[in-house]
Amino acid sequence: MMHCGELIIKLSDLRAVSGRENEASDAIAEVFREYCDEVYIDGFYNVVGLKKGQASEPKNILITAHYDEIGLIVTDIEESGFLRFAPVGGVDVKTIGAMEVTVHGKHDLFGVIGAKAPHLIDPADKDKAVKFEDMRIDIGLSGEKAKELVTIGDMVSFNSPAQKMMNNRIAGKSLDNRCGVAAIVETLKELKKLNHDDNVYVVATVQEELGLIGAICASYRIDADLAIVIDVCHGDMPGTPADSSFPLGKGTAIGIGPILNREHVKAMIKLAKDEHIPYQIDPETGDTGTEAAAHAVAKEGIPVILLSIPSKYMHTPVEMISVDDVIATGRLAARYIAGREK
Amino acid sequence: MFELINKLAGAYGPSGNEKQVSALIRSILKDKVDEIREDALGNLICVKKGSGKKFMLAAHMDQIGVIVTFIDDKGFLRFGNIGGLRPQVILGQRVVFENGTTGVIWYEENIDDIKKLKLDKMYIDIGATSREEAEGMVKLGDQAVYAADTKLQNGKIISKCMDNRIGCAILVQMALNSPKTENEIYYVFTAQEEVGLRGARTAAFGIVPDMALAVDVTGTGDTPESKPMAVRLGAGPTIKIKDASVISHPAVKDRLIERAKSANIPYQFEIMTFGGTDAGSIHITAGGIPSGGVSVPTRHIHSSAEIVDMKDVENAVELLEHFVK
Repeated sequence: MMHCGELIIKLSDLRAVSGRENEASDAIAEVFREYCDEVYIDGFYNVVGLKKGQASEPKNILITAHYDEIGLIVTDIEESGFLRFAPVGGVDVKTIGAMEVTVHGKHDLFGVIGAKAPHLIDPADKDKAVKFEDMRIDIGLSGEKAKELVTIGDMVSFNSPAQKMMNNRIAGKSLDNRCGVAAIVETLKELKKLNHDDNVYVVATVQEELGLIGAICASYRIDADLAIVIDVCHGDMPGTPADSSFPLGKGTAIGIGPILNREHVKAMIKLAKDEHIPYQIDPETGDTGTEAAAHAVAKEGIPVILLSIPSKYMHTPVEMISVDDVIATGRLAARYIAGREK
Repeated sequence: MFELINKLAGAYGPSGNEKQVSALIRSILKDKVDEIREDALGNLICVKKGSGKKFMLAAHMDQIGVIVTFIDDKGFLRFGNIGGLRPQVILGQRVVFENGTTGVIWYEENIDDIKKLKLDKMYIDIGATSREEAEGMVKLGDQAVYAADTKLQNGKIISKCMDNRIGCAILVQMALNSPKTENEIYYVFTAQEEVGLRGARTAAFGIVPDMALAVDVTGTGDTPESKPMAVRLGAGPTIKIKDASVISHPAVKDRLIERAKSANIPYQFEIMTFGGTDAGSIHITAGGIPSGGVSVPTRHIHSSAEIVDMKDVENAVELLEHFVK
């Protein structure tokens, strides 16, 4: 059994740009296998684990956390060997200049996103924003050689290995939402120690960043009586609005909003209080932008709870989370599942 | 095949009102497939029965257009968009209503910068001089489409609504060719793609195929100062890698590449950073359907004069026939 922090680092370093999760699905299935009765990978590379409940007629609880990450896609290979690219998911163009990347071509290739030297920038353009179409990936190869190894449509991921930091924090490229997957594993670990009546389906989902694709497929295929979504919310930093950013290390943020089931949310908050599990309140006025939006309207509708782990610098290669929050999220979810009325 | 394309491009069919296109396709494919049915949203589903895998090929029938929202005292029509319209592109265009009434799109001329032009500063002039006269010709909610003909010139087609009658033509031609296979093929002519990929969603739910393809148009990067895109007119149909609505399933994409290679059909890869296709709604239907797309490189999409290359169209038919075998 891996410690939570080590697991987060291992998960964050997997490469799974949305639409290319197949390269990472086996690794996640292996982690689930340690705690589940059944594990399978579906046709879209969702990784599904089932931990059976003890009731004779168990209900089904679905927990999802997406494991895809934002990245880039090669859109053209120039005669000079430079690669043109476009974003996959919400990549902030300001944060990727001078990044080191891996181009997933015939084999993995190291590349850099070069930036024009400051000396060479036209003074008139100095304050202008850079656009994706003005940037290139340099893999050091001639056009001819590059075309042998790279194809239009190849995915590109950021090289930003997860780092353990002071105060039990971790920074890395895809803590959105591998820390959510780690929270699922924490939930399973905790459930091993507890009795639970209900079947627990855990799903590490694909293509969330492109429109909740994996979640839509998962809640159609699994007949769930309750869904719990684990994702990240904004960690607070200077200049962020207090009502939509949350301090790290103060526990999971429990979502409250129109699409989230009020009775379950109330019960979840009461449980957190009673058990002294740290939590925060996350008011969600819209559809939450998370997989909760998919589950809430799946089939005839599934009651849904949203638990969010605060992450600073979301959608940059240096996202930062607190391991304590991940553990708190897992404990809270597990206790909630185990404590449901028989 | 040009005759077929010409016929399809001439049919009137803005989103939500596809019945003329549907009737035309039905009349051509009657007796050529095993079953033809229409679902509640107006999708036309033509089935070639088989005992093997189920393949769904979807081409949307609807075209972009305008819808009358208000008729003023002087008889000018205000309108909203059906699908993606750019004010500068529709300015000065002739449009035609279902009943044949023709109008011209013009704008309030007191604007200081034409770049600021928006649809709510534009109107349709049907030549009427009063509200009463106008109301005798059109009603609120009536829809109009570009009025333009279809021309074959040096192997290229110039026409309105190649998006996506060209996709319809490809599927109709394929159904007429009737490729020999044990697989079951669903030629699906979908409704309401331009307003949110709506028809394809219900059609896919009704069929639940093993694999699905959207057959549609894609942009090119070969016109002066166009946005960069590695697609050229005449260099082959495109195999979709990604658009704004879907990332093609690896199994679908790989099957297309493999079939194109073995049959020696030219192809290009397509990454559209904006715009979606029917594959976007099909692939998230009924728990997930592996989906992808084959597209025809098209210049000036959503204008009254789109250009496609006949070779790309014919190669698309051939590629799809190999795909389903």
